[in-house]
Order: sequence, then C-alpha cells, then structure tokens
Amino acid sequence: MARVKKEHKKIPITMKEMKRQSFLMIVSFFMVVYGIIFYYWPLTGWIMAFQNYKPKKGLLGSKFVGLDKFRFLFEDAVFVKAIRNTFAMGLLNLVTTTIMAVLFAIILNEVRKLWLKRPIQTISYLPHFLSWIVVTGILHTALSASGIVNDLLMRFGFIDQAINFFAYPKYFWGIVAFAHCWKETGWNAIIYLAAITAIDPCLYEAASIDGADRLQKIRYITLPGIKPTFMILLLMNVGNVLNAGFEVQYLLGNGLVQSVSQTIDIYVLKWGISQNDYSLGTAAGLFKSAVSILLIVIANSISKKYGEQRLF
Amino acid sequence: MKKRLLALFLTAGVVASMLAGCGGSSDAAPAAPADVAEAPAAADDAEEAPAEDESGEVTNFTMFITMPGSEINDDNEIAQMIADKWGVKVKETWLTGQTASEATGTLIAGGEYPDFIDSDEMSLLVDADALVALDDYIDQYPEFRDKWFTKEEWDKFRQPDGHIYWINPFGNTKGETKQTTHNDEAFWIQVRVLEWAGYPKIETMDQYFDLLESYIAANPTMEDGTENMAYTILCEDWRYFCLENAGQFLAGYPNDGSVIVDKTDMTIKDYNTSEDTIAYFKKLNEEYNKGFVDPESFTQTYDEYIAKLSTGRVLGMVDQWWDFAYTVNDSFKQSGLDQKGCNYVPLGLTTKEGMENRWHTYDDTVNQASGIAITTDCDDVDKAFKFLVDCAMDQELHDLRFWGVKDVDYNVDENGLYYRTDEQRMNWADTSYQAKHRCQYSYFPQWHGTSDDGKNANKPEEQPSEFMVDMAPPLKACFDAYGYTTYPQFIGSVQETNGPWFPMYSFSNNFTTETPGGVAWAKMGECKHEWLPKVVMAKDFDKGWGEYMAAYEACKPGDFLAEMQAILDGFK
Amino acid sequence: MNENVKPQKVRGTLSDKIFSVIVFVFLLAFVIITLYPVINTVVLSFNDGIDAVRGGIYLWPRKFSMKNYKTVLAMQNIWTGAKITVARTVLATVTSLIANALLAFVVSRKRFLFKSGLSLFWVITMYVNGGLIPVFLLYKNLGLTGTFHVYWIPGMISAFNMLVMRTYMEGIPESLEESAQLDGAGYWTVFAKIISPLCKPMYATIALFIAVWQWNSWFDAMLYNRMKTEYTTLQYELMKLLSSVMQQSGSAENAKNGAATITPITIRAATTVVTMLPIICLYPFLQRYFVTGLTIGGVKE
Repeated sequence: MARVKKEHKKIPITMKEMKRQSFLMIVSFFMVVYGIIFYYWPLTGWIMAFQNYKPKKGLLGSKFVGLDKFRFLFEDAVFVKAIRNTFAMGLLNLVTTTIMAVLFAIILNEVRKLWLKRPIQTISYLPHFLSWIVVTGILHTALSASGIVNDLLMRFGFIDQAINFFAYPKYFWGIVAFAHCWKETGWNAIIYLAAITAIDPCLYEAASIDGADRLQKIRYITLPGIKPTFMILLLMNVGNVLNAGFEVQYLLGNGLVQSVSQTIDIYVLKWGISQNDYSLGTAAGLFKSAVSILLIVIANSISKKYGEQRLF
Repeated sequence: MKKRLLALFLTAGVVASMLAGCGGSSDAAPAAPADVAEAPAAADDAEEAPAEDESGEVTNFTMFITMPGSEINDDNEIAQMIADKWGVKVKETWLTGQTASEATGTLIAGGEYPDFIDSDEMSLLVDADALVALDDYIDQYPEFRDKWFTKEEWDKFRQPDGHIYWINPFGNTKGETKQTTHNDEAFWIQVRVLEWAGYPKIETMDQYFDLLESYIAANPTMEDGTENMAYTILCEDWRYFCLENAGQFLAGYPNDGSVIVDKTDMTIKDYNTSEDTIAYFKKLNEEYNKGFVDPESFTQTYDEYIAKLSTGRVLGMVDQWWDFAYTVNDSFKQSGLDQKGCNYVPLGLTTKEGMENRWHTYDDTVNQASGIAITTDCDDVDKAFKFLVDCAMDQELHDLRFWGVKDVDYNVDENGLYYRTDEQRMNWADTSYQAKHRCQYSYFPQWHGTSDDGKNANKPEEQPSEFMVDMAPPLKACFDAYGYTTYPQFIGSVQETNGPWFPMYSFSNNFTTETPGGVAWAKMGECKHEWLPKVVMAKDFDKGWGEYMAAYEACKPGDFLAEMQAILDGFK
Repeated sequence: MNENVKPQKVRGTLSDKIFSVIVFVFLLAFVIITLYPVINTVVLSFNDGIDAVRGGIYLWPRKFSMKNYKTVLAMQNIWTGAKITVARTVLATVTSLIANALLAFVVSRKRFLFKSGLSLFWVITMYVNGGLIPVFLLYKNLGLTGTFHVYWIPGMISAFNMLVMRTYMEGIPESLEESAQLDGAGYWTVFAKIISPLCKPMYATIALFIAVWQWNSWFDAMLYNRMKTEYTTLQYELMKLLSSVMQQSGSAENAKNGAATITPITIRAATTVVTMLPIICLYPFLQRYFVTGLTIGGVKE
C-alpha cells in the first residue's frame, strides 16, 4: 500500500493555525488532565521506593532510607538472576509470539473460503479465554513422563526414554514461550487481520495480472501492508520485555528449575509483598519502568532513523 | 450499520443514566452492611422478628479473612437461624487473588475495616491502631476466659503494649478428646501392603522401604494392570513440607516446624543439618537411584499428585492427612479402590528402632500468631464480642454451625447419639448446599472434643460412628489386626505436654526481612526448595549433600537460629 | 483448487498448489493444537467431580454430570454479577472506544502542533505504575471506591489501543482530509464523517479488545467494591470459586484450619466455560468487519 513519506515541513505557529486546531487542542487538554489524574498522580507512590513504607504512616510519614531498597535488590544474586530470566523470557516470548501471530494472520488470509476461514479464526482465539492455570495444567500433563509428547517422541524413535521436561532448566524458557504462543497466537493475530483489511484489493488484482504467484503477493503486498502495525506493536512490546509476568512461571516452575524460572515479579512477591515490604516492590517497579522507558527510547530512535513507525 | 451504532450509543446512554440513578440512591440509603450496623434499627432481612433475642434486632457484621474460602449466600438458612436466635449475622469475605499481606496493606491504607478480621498480618493491624483491645471484654466473661485458654496461653497473645487484640479460634478441645484421625504429618502406607506382609510392626524408615520394595517385587502391578509405584513425594511450592521436615520427626521430636527444641538444655537445634536428616535424605537418594521413588516427584503439581494417589497405585508417601485424605478417600470410595485396600494408614517412623516418636500431638496446639479480632470500625463491640463468646460457649450454636439442623443434616438415635446418613453427609459436603444452607462461621471460636451432653463429638468428623461407618473391609481388617480403633494409635506417639513455646513455627512464620534472622529464614527456604530435590536425585549422595550444605551455609542459618534461641530463652 | 473468488483467470501454477497444501496442513495442525485445551475444558466441565480427580479425561467425559453447572449457576450474586458485568462492558466499550478513537485521531493529525508531545505523554503511561496503594488512595479520594464508576472511568484511555488506532489512521490518505477541509469541514467533521467510517475494522478490533478486557476484569471489583455486593461482577464471583486453587502463597497451618476446601477441577472448568461463552458469541458480530477485505472507499491518491 502506498504510503506517503512525510515531509517535515515546519508548520508555523500562527494564531490562525492555533484557531484552526482548536478542536484538537481542546480534546488534548482534557486527555492530558485525565492522564495526569489517573496515570501520573499515582506515581507519587514512587516515593515509597526510597522509604521504609508502613501503611499506617502513609507516604508522608514513613521513614526515608535513601537507596537502601535498591541496594538490597542489586546486592542479591538471586535478583540479578531474576533480571536475566525476565529479560530472556520476555524477549523469547516477544519474538515467538510475534512471529506466530504474523504467520497465522497471513496464512489465514490466504484461505479464500469464508466457511473455512471464519471457524478457524474463531477457534484460534478461544485459548485466550482459558486462564493460565487451565493451560499450564494441560501442558503439564502433556509434557509429563507419561504424557503425549513423550509418547510420540518415543514412538517415532527420537528418544528411548521418557524425558521429564520440567526437571531440566534448559527446557524451561522454551516451554514458557510455547505456552504463550499456544494461548495467544490467534488473539494476537486479530490485530494483523484487521490491518490486512486496509490493504487495497486492487493491488492484489494488479499483481495477479502481472503474473505474481501467491508467495510473491504475500511478500510484496501483504507484508508491507501490515508493516506499520507490526512495527508499532513491536516498539510497544519492546518496552514490555521486563513484564514477562509471574503466573506462567509460577505455575510451571518447581524447585529444580528455580534458577531459570524466577522472574522479577516472582521475586517481588516473595521478598516484598509476602514479607510486608511494600517499598521493595516499588523499587523493583521503578527499576522496571526506567529500563522500559530506556528501551523504547532506543527502539524508537532506531526506528525513526530508518524512517519507520514511531511511538512518539 | 449506522442504525446499529446508534443503538449501541443509546444502550450505553441508558445504562449510564440508569447507573447514575443507582449511584445517587445508594448514597442516600444505607445499603452496605457496614452502614446497617451503624443503625441497628434497620434489621433489613429479618422479616420474622426473633422472639428469643433480648433486643429483637439483628445486627449485621462484616468480616474479612485473609484466607481463600467459600462465601455463603446472604439468605443462608442456618445463618438466618443464628441471626434469629443470637441476633447477629456475619457477612464473611475471603481473600481472592491477592496475598494476605497485600490485602491487609490496602485495608490499612484505605483506613476502612470490616467489623471482624482474621489476618495473617495481625501485627500490621495493631501497628495501624486498627484493632480493639479485648482485655476488658474478656474479663466481662470470666467463664469464657477460664475455659478457653489458661492464663499462660492468654499471656502468649499479649502484644508488647500488654493488650490482647485477637483470639485464636482453633485447636481447643472441650471435654474428652474424640480425636480419631491423625491430621498431621506421617509416613503413610496402603493397607494392602500391610495385609500382604501379615500386618508387621514397622518402626523405622529402613523397614518401611524394605517392605515397599518387597511388595513391589511380588506385586509389580495392580489387579487392573496399572503399575504399582512405591513412593512419591509432593514438592509443589509451600507443600514441600512433604519432603522437607521429616527429619525432625525421625529424630523423635515434635512438630516445631522450623527448628528442633532440645528440652534438656533448652537449646534450638537445626534439623536441616542433623544426623537423622542426613540419614533420611540418604535413604531417599538410595531408593531414588534404585528406581523406587517416583521420578516425577519433584516436578509434579498438586493436582497431578492427587490424581496419582487416586489411581491407588502409590503405596506410600509423607504428607499431612488434610492435604490428601478427603479428596483421595472420596475418589477411592467412588472407584471401589477402597475395597482393594488402597486406603492409607499412618506410621510413626524413627531412624532407629525403639525410639520414642512425636509425630502426633495429643495436646491442643495454640498458635498465637493469628486469630479473630474486632476492629475500631465496629460500632457495637459489645455485641460483636458477645457473639464471639456465644460461638465458644453455646453448645446449641456450636451444633448448628458444625452439625447443622437436627433431622435435616443429622439424626439422633435412641441413645442420643448424632449420626448422619450417606445422603446427609454428601449434602453437607456439597458446594451449592453449603452456600444456601450451611453456615459454619469457620473463623469464629470452635471446639474439638466432646459436646456438653457428654456423648457427642463437637465436630462430625470426630464422631466415632462417623469414623467407623464408612470404613471399607480391608481398612477395617487392618485396624482389627493391630487392635487399633483410631489412627493415632498406628503412630503410637508418646503422650506428653509440650512446652509453652510449642510450636516454634508460630514464631518463625511471623519473621520478616527486617531482621537478619528473617532474611536468613527466607533464604534457607529458597535454598532447600532448589537443593533438596537435587540431593535426592544425585548420583553421588555425599557430593550432592556437600554442595547443598555449601549453598545452605551461605544463607547464614546461624542468624535465624540465634533469633529463635532468643525467643526460646524468653520461656526459661 | 480454484479458491480464488476473483473473476480474473488465475493460472493454477504448481507453486500455488504446493502453497495451498502447506497452508492447509499448517492450519489443520494449528486448529487441532488450539482446540484441544478448549475441548478438554468443556469435557471436564461435564464430568463428575470426584471421578475427575483421578485424571485421564481427554476428549470425552468418563462419568457424565451436570452438577458442576448447577453449582456454578446456583451461586448467589451470580446474576447480579452478570448484570453489572454486561453493563460495565457495554458502557466502557462505548466510552472507551470513543475516547481512544478521538485521541488517536488527534495525535494522527500530521499538522497538529503537539502531536509528538502528546504521544510521548501517553506512551509513558504504558510503562509506569505507581503501585497498588497509591492508586487505591487516589480512587478513594475521588470517591470512586464503592461505586459502579470505578469500572469505566479509570481505564477509559489505554495508550496501547490508542496507538494501534493511530497507526491505522495514519495509513488513511491525507488527501481525504484535505479535500474535506477545502469544503469547509472542521476536524470534528473529518473525524466523524471521513476517518471513522474507514476505521471500522480497527474500531471493531479495539472494541473487541476493550470488551474482552472489561468482561474479564475482576480485580477492580475485588479491590474497590469488596463489601458492595450490588456492584459485584461475574468474574469476581467466579474468581471467589477459583481462589482456593489460585492461592499464591500459603502455609500448611492455614490450609489445615481452613479445612482446605480445594475447588474441584471440574468446577474450575465449568466456571471457565460459563465465562467464555457470552464473550465468544460477540465475536461473529465483529468478525464481519475484518474477515473480508475492505476497499477504502475506492479512493486513489
């Protein structure tokens, strides 16, 4: 789809221009007020990261301890390991789920028969509605020593002895990534399917006339068509790699794989919240926010440099 | 298309205005239960005014319990009967999707409390001046005061400021003990194994595993062809006590949980590094390498563990009764496996023969760390506390809570003994029946032991007839063969009075990371979670144990033990 | 294989045929893998609770029972919860869609002076979080706790949804806006008459996202309306049923006294199905907007 490259013509800030944009200004004003109240005001809570927060004393009354909480975090080898795990799983999940979603959306788009396409799409996004406890439960059974995966692997002669997948750290990240793909591929693909609808069908027709085969059409029409959406989602999600969560890891993990399964959120739950240390969780949250913002600023400027989509 | 969009807008508009209306009216009318408490005259749902209650009014209280639990309906039948007679209705809310600490923290930050609270984080609430000191109220009811706890026990609940803020509602026995089950930890074994071996006396861990091994050798499969499994270990999250603390029992100590108390010289000892614990893990390691321990032990989830036990193929394990027995026994009964001798009985094993064991605690265990409290937001503390006392002192109320309604939930035979039919028992356990009919107020004071009538048990599960009635023949045969009538007899623990410090875990459970000991305690837990499975799975036990010990020492267990010792010294 | 609906003659080349086979195989495998957990959940929900404890139920109930559904649907407050959930879903979807679309429209105007600044303002909100307690205090001070409004006011604008919409809007040729403005149309008219009709597929997508999010929310009900049964939501009621298995940290001591009521997995399954069903029914209505290709008003630049 033909996108007009934006020329950076400076718009002069004149009274006339301001007046012309008054509708935009008014909307922006209310949105900013809303944003300040609901998103920025609670950030006063970040003070907690530098305090020994006690619910009774509140934000104003609690004792300040400087960087003690950060020191506690970064002096603990377990936390540093948790950062690594979170990063690794966040990144792996991001890459695999994105690839799967794009792949699925494109392939589904190739199905021309509506009676086939619609049910498949509906089915594909059903797992999104299952809770993690249900999905991990089924996955656990499938991967157990007597489960279907081992059964198939042995039947086809790949292995002689059942593998206890959950006992070895080397499989863990892969299993988590798979679980995410399994649950979210169809759901994530919805956005791409919506983006594909914006592609002008004339382009496909023209390509057919030029003798392009289907792979070529995907490559030269569909892929460029969803690229803006792809880029914007990628940029946003890069900032989320540290939010690899805790539910999946918590439900799939066990003592044997603890060293690779513990994420920042699990760490905070164990050491902060469960021990009544509210400040520790805030400190970890502050750290995550800082890293996230750093990541998206970097990603955004790289994207900008190559003339791609930008977040801001 | 436009029409549909318009319709959507309209709907939204209607909904919005409707809700705006709701919002306005609810501000005006005291709809929330807490508000009703403020105005006692508003006895909203007690249509039939109760005659017996002096004031004739029902006060609605709210209660928050930082444990997951099942909520009962607002029009719950027994709750209504209690309200009619005792003038109090309590709306219980349970923990959902948060930790106890988070929930308590938000309550305190918001500064609004329910009338009653039972939290794992009592000290936070005391700090926040959220609780009413109960000393004076307790003294108003001397009969309750003297019956519920001894003076020493009450003193354990005194906070640094000298006041008592909460009362532990559990673990008290009235009259003769009716304990038939062993609710705590033990090595369990299926009765079919004991039957096969001619009901031998099993005292040590070596004998236990020898028996399991020889049974497997003789009976590799069950009747239906399922492979038998000698031993499995549940290790999921906090349930890893099934692996972790058998060492203290094997050495003959009671369940202090986190440490061993040596009474001879009043010192704290670490069971994690004791000889008996090493012997225990060495044995597990040996059995694991011989293939007698379930290879999925350390990765299975609780659901998978229960499923495994329910197939009847697992011969033995360490666990606490409540953690598996209710579900598994129901399943056995349904699938007929109880007829094949799959039920479990407990064994009180020790490392060496002829040692005393203390797996079973006969005494009441008073945990001073938590309990029920009344908050400063409660408008009628007198009535709230009176109800609390009623729960403990009024047998009729107690029966209504735990047995239910006479002739509906239980019957009375000619000797005055309560009994239940199968149907009544099933109803009582049914989730939807519970919501509309059963009301236990399960975090209010309650008794074990014998009812005031001197015949019946305070709780149905302790009634001898209840206990004997659904015993399958193989289980019954096992009891008869040994000449036992209760589960604790299988364990044969020594009967003795525990020290006032017992159980020590009630102290360590409240440790926080603010002290070095608390940090060490948390780190030790993490370390054991990771290393104990590795030790059991190690090809070379001594090497594995050495590595574990290196990691363990790095957690500075000394800090923890020193703090525990200081607490114990307080009891000298 | 003549799968093209287009009237043009298409040569069925070999590579196209191979491609079709690959597509078919991929989708088949995908459908099987994805459908399995759903089927398994439905099957479990129709199985007897005690029987299911033994495991080994895959594609067909072993001991059929309707009891799980009876238990779930007999729960008190479940109908109040359903009403509130429908109300919040409808209201929030509409308000939130409009708010996000407006904001997306504003920041996608290339001539807008604060375009970049406003975007950054909202991008940051995605990655910062003051924590549970400050947010709780804010809502309390705003008088939102203990009311219905806490369900739709705080989450009205989501930077994620806004940015996705913005990207889509930026793909719409600028010439449309310019020609409308030449005819004297203001920004509101451009938004309502020109841009929005073209954004239907994206609006449908975002509406679905918001609706599903709203439908599944329960934490706000638990936190802000814990004691207000009249504002309970369906999901919160169901979460109460599930909470005993979801318990993140526990101790033996507590579990023992709490009589350890573990919600049977079959009830868990029935709960899941009850939750899923209504929101799945919404999908076919929205699907029409983006399953078929849509010609953008036949506009050529």
